[in-house]
Amino acid sequence: MSFIDLLILGFSEAMTPMNLGFCLLGALLGTLIGVLPGIGPTATIAVLLPITFFLPPLAGIIMLAGIYYGAQYGGSTTAILVNLPGEASSVVTALDGYQMAQNGRAGSALAIAALGSFFAGTVATLALAVAGPTLSVFALKFGPAEYVSLMVFGLLAATILASGPVLKAIGMILIGLLLGMIGTDRATGDARLTFGAIELFDGIDFIVIAIGLFGFSEIIANLEGSGSEGVKLAKLTRLWPTRQDFREAWPAVLRGTGLGTVLGLLPGGGATLASFSAYSMEKRMSRHPEQFGTGVVAGVAAPESANNAAAQSSFIPLLTLGIPSNNMMAMMLSAFMIHGITPGPTVLTSQPEIFWGLVASMWIGNLLLVVINLPLIGIWVKLLTVPYRLLYPAILLFCCIGVYSMNNRVFDVVLAAGFGLLGYLFRKAKCEPGPLLLGFVLGPLLEANLRRTLLITQGDPSIFVERPISLTMLVATVILLGLMILPSFRKTREEAFQEEDA
Amino acid sequence: MRGPSAAQRGDRPDLLTALIFVGFGALGLFLARPLDGGTLAQMGPGFMPRVICGLLILVGLAVGLPALRRPLVRIEPVKIRPVVVILLSIVGFGLAVTYLGFVLASLWLILAGAMADPGGKMRQTLLLAAGLTAFGALIFVYGLGVQVPLWPF
Repeated sequence: MSFIDLLILGFSEAMTPMNLGFCLLGALLGTLIGVLPGIGPTATIAVLLPITFFLPPLAGIIMLAGIYYGAQYGGSTTAILVNLPGEASSVVTALDGYQMAQNGRAGSALAIAALGSFFAGTVATLALAVAGPTLSVFALKFGPAEYVSLMVFGLLAATILASGPVLKAIGMILIGLLLGMIGTDRATGDARLTFGAIELFDGIDFIVIAIGLFGFSEIIANLEGSGSEGVKLAKLTRLWPTRQDFREAWPAVLRGTGLGTVLGLLPGGGATLASFSAYSMEKRMSRHPEQFGTGVVAGVAAPESANNAAAQSSFIPLLTLGIPSNNMMAMMLSAFMIHGITPGPTVLTSQPEIFWGLVASMWIGNLLLVVINLPLIGIWVKLLTVPYRLLYPAILLFCCIGVYSMNNRVFDVVLAAGFGLLGYLFRKAKCEPGPLLLGFVLGPLLEANLRRTLLITQGDPSIFVERPISLTMLVATVILLGLMILPSFRKTREEAFQEEDA
Repeated sequence: MRGPSAAQRGDRPDLLTALIFVGFGALGLFLARPLDGGTLAQMGPGFMPRVICGLLILVGLAVGLPALRRPLVRIEPVKIRPVVVILLSIVGFGLAVTYLGFVLASLWLILAGAMADPGGKMRQTLLLAAGLTAFGALIFVYGLGVQVPLWPF
């Protein structure tokens, strides 16, 4: 089938009333949680994962994807209007966006953010449509050795590009790998690391870990540092940007989109990294860097385009190689797995309607988001006045039902509470739990492929350096490790993330 | 010259990290004892767990040892109330939903969970509990068909 035929197939799938409905629902939910501080997309998707089990595969995935990119739109709204970034990825938007609002240009800041995001979403969706089939042909050449090297590279690169100390991130990945090994060993049938508990013979469910680490521990942490009641809103003025705003915004949108699309592809990359990088790049390229932070249009346009582009392009490695690049994509992977679909090159040929339906729904979703966000902005802003005290019981209930409904077992609920406590400890230890999920999802894949490789070669590990693709990945891994030891690189990396901590 | 005394040293969050990492590694090694390691060509179930746990302990030490000599950084203060209240209400929900049905479990979860935030008003919390329980029953039990009894009888 030609490219056009496949796109038409995708749109016909995405336009069915049911899929369209779930796309809208995802976009609405994404905007909602993007607006509400204290609830991130990771926690929301963790909560909704069990529900997708009751939906057809494509509808569920369309909804989850909508939440992820919808949150990028919603997060910018609060960043601009109340200087309260709803999401980590809109922290930098608040710098100039809130200043614009203070200067009475809230409307044009919001419009620039939404239109820039829409443009970026369109480009990134197109990139996904073009890169998908190309990359998957390439991926079909991968043997187990290549997959092992790719996963090692992906896991390591993810720790370096993510914020926070590298060693801690590596440790978190290792804990994730270890947790992934609990249960019956697939090759030999032996029970591993189960404490003899029958409930653990099937392994720990991804949802239990995700809801525990992100849902429950986030509630506890938010309650500990409560005080998000009552916010002061900037006054909303005319919505349409001036011609001057457009002229200043469009090059920044272009640059942000390009950078975001590329950064979304990288392991560990994603919306947050993209928006920070785009902002600092814009500042560096500007002729008046000193004006940044006082309400510059480019300071809103670039990061907002970048985070949306990255949110969508990070689907590329997952859908073409079957390798999730960040914790959000790890969630998506498990959403596919719930329905027995393993994302990767074969899905494109065996179930093209899944891939193309998702691609088409992303574009439709972006269009819906512009409508949801611009004319309806007043409604979302009202939601900000809802205190957390009324929100968290609802989140708590959804989390609990979600965990329980998987197997109807008390055990899962208690285990999730345990992971909630563990997540709380991680927060106190200043460890970011994202890499753990990545390790947990990739662990079984890594082990199975490593075993397969060494079984084929009779225990000879030299295959990893003899196969060119595998060798390239390993060399890249070694270079990354080498860079981490170099003091000058470490310094630049720390500087790059300093703004994020502020 | 008076150096900082021993009590003023140690990056506590990093030391906690090291404790977690080494603890997980040691626990994993302990549990993996009966598992067969196998050979490279024919890996047994114990091979990867041992490798991972070994690495985990190494990383834990690499985080922890330098942290001992760094100046004191305290762990953010722990508020015990939300931790205990939230965790207990979750566990209570799990038990109640099995033996007492969804309605009572949900009411328990929200009423007990609301104790985590001392600022709540009684009337508001009761209304919230009733509303969320009805909503949850409609969406999850009727709408999505989650297999759980509504009432204890």
